[in-house]
Amino acid sequence: MAQALSSPGQRRPGPRFRLDPMPYLFILPAVLIYVVFNLGPVVASFFFSFFKWDLLSPTTEFTGFDHYTFILNDDRFWNALGHNFIFLGLAVVIPVSMGLFLAVFIYEIRRGRVVFRAALFLPAIFSGVVIAYVWKWIYHSFAGVLNAVLEAVGLGAFTQLWLGDPNLALYSTFVAYTWASFGYSMVIFLAGLQDISTDIFDAARVDGANFWQKLFYITIPCLYDVFTFVITLRIFTAMGVFGVIYILTGGGPFYASDVIDIYVFRMIGNFEMGWATAAATVNAVIVVILSTGFIKYREWRSWSS
Amino acid sequence: MEFLSGNTQRRLRSLPFYLVLIVTTVITLVPIVWVFASALKSNKEIRENPLALPSEWHFQNYVEAWFGASFDQYFFNSIFITVTSVAIVLFLSSLAAYAFAKMRFPGNQMIFFVFLIGMAFPLSAKLGPLLSLMYELNLANSRFGLILVYVAGSLPFAILMLRAFFQGFPQELEDSAALDGCNRFQFYWRILLPLSKPSLMALGIFVFMGTWNEFFQALLLINEDSKRTLPLGLTAFQDEYFTDFALSFAGINITAVPVIIVYIMFQRNLIEGITVGSLK
Repeated sequence: MAQALSSPGQRRPGPRFRLDPMPYLFILPAVLIYVVFNLGPVVASFFFSFFKWDLLSPTTEFTGFDHYTFILNDDRFWNALGHNFIFLGLAVVIPVSMGLFLAVFIYEIRRGRVVFRAALFLPAIFSGVVIAYVWKWIYHSFAGVLNAVLEAVGLGAFTQLWLGDPNLALYSTFVAYTWASFGYSMVIFLAGLQDISTDIFDAARVDGANFWQKLFYITIPCLYDVFTFVITLRIFTAMGVFGVIYILTGGGPFYASDVIDIYVFRMIGNFEMGWATAAATVNAVIVVILSTGFIKYREWRSWSS
Repeated sequence: MEFLSGNTQRRLRSLPFYLVLIVTTVITLVPIVWVFASALKSNKEIRENPLALPSEWHFQNYVEAWFGASFDQYFFNSIFITVTSVAIVLFLSSLAAYAFAKMRFPGNQMIFFVFLIGMAFPLSAKLGPLLSLMYELNLANSRFGLILVYVAGSLPFAILMLRAFFQGFPQELEDSAALDGCNRFQFYWRILLPLSKPSLMALGIFVFMGTWNEFFQALLLINEDSKRTLPLGLTAFQDEYFTDFALSFAGINITAVPVIIVYIMFQRNLIEGITVGSLK
């Protein structure tokens, strides 16, 4: 008891409460840098979306919802946002299920687990810039490997302008995104699988459960929280996709692969800070609602069942 | 299958898994191998036969890419910015995480929550004001400015991860250190940090990768060639040499190789950093 009372960090009972400055000194440097260079600009972005301002002149003038009215009436804004949602819809299905199956397969084998995990995760370590340039060359119309392979196997009729065709450009960028993201889901699922007690799988084998029964009745339910995390991660990356598309297509051709972050970047480049911050705020609100809404829904569902 | 031994049965059962894994791995790695092979070919060979392996090895592509563009400068900038950012993030986040995990003070929960909020927003939500702030503070176009932005971006995740780790430390450790006359900073510096080496390592590699690869904010804040990082320099290089196929491939590889080396060396730490941070 005496030891507990004298331990640092425990508030001592006494008539006068003295504020201990020590904890604040420990957090102060982190708080300062974080507030000035991260959270502050986010808050400022929200406020500035209601004012007329640009980088050059310091004058500001309250404009209310004018910037929001503009972007909500801008077809290009909806075009870009729609592409983010297409990306999101594909991203929560394709890289996530690829990651799940590959993780289950690696879990099922005995030899070479580490090698397969390391090799399949490799694309995920690269900068979006490297990923984009690798795929820019794969898609290249005459020096690219994709069209060359199609020619070589006699499918020359299927060669495409993968990045130049407005109907294909967005999906071509999505393939590059998938190449670099399924490994992320895979290693997280694999870690989740290794946390499941092997007793359950042994019991299932004794009962004669096949691969699919084990997958749907044991693995997927046991990975409930891991799924929540992996899908939330996809919400952030799909709604904030930038580098891969910026380099592969720049949002083109004719805005066919435009996304919100490229729209915002273009607006900043044109010194249209009002429109840029309004669009960024709308996107941020969507991301926050989608992610917290999804997490709350998953928590509610696991409680109610 | 009764006549087969248990061992053989198990091998047969895992055969389809191996097949799928091998095929997927080959498809995943082919683009990387192809980019490395193409960097050793001549332009003529790339254009006429994109699928073939190099007939003779043109290592001069790398020499020309390295000296023709400012890759030495980009490389130095990336190393300097990344290493400094990682060191600052590790120091500041461990200090703060220790306070959040082990000290009681008014506002502990609330301030920690404010850090968490920072992870909820997409990057674009801060870019406009960030750009004008950096110009106001004379930190635009500056390596130091970029370091501050990267540190601020990495702190929330780093604090979240280390706080969870520090919470697992037994209180007795701190109590007995206090009895021996150790103040809280000494405890942090001499006991907590050395005992946390594996976690700091995993976090450090994770932050290293994220910072080394970052592109969006660097693109916004840096426009002088001498201050570009590798990803940014690669875009400038590709814009300039987009007709010189072989040099383009060599440039991609120069940017990719350092990450591959770090990955091979610290693969376990990196994956641990990702999974521990996400499952706790």
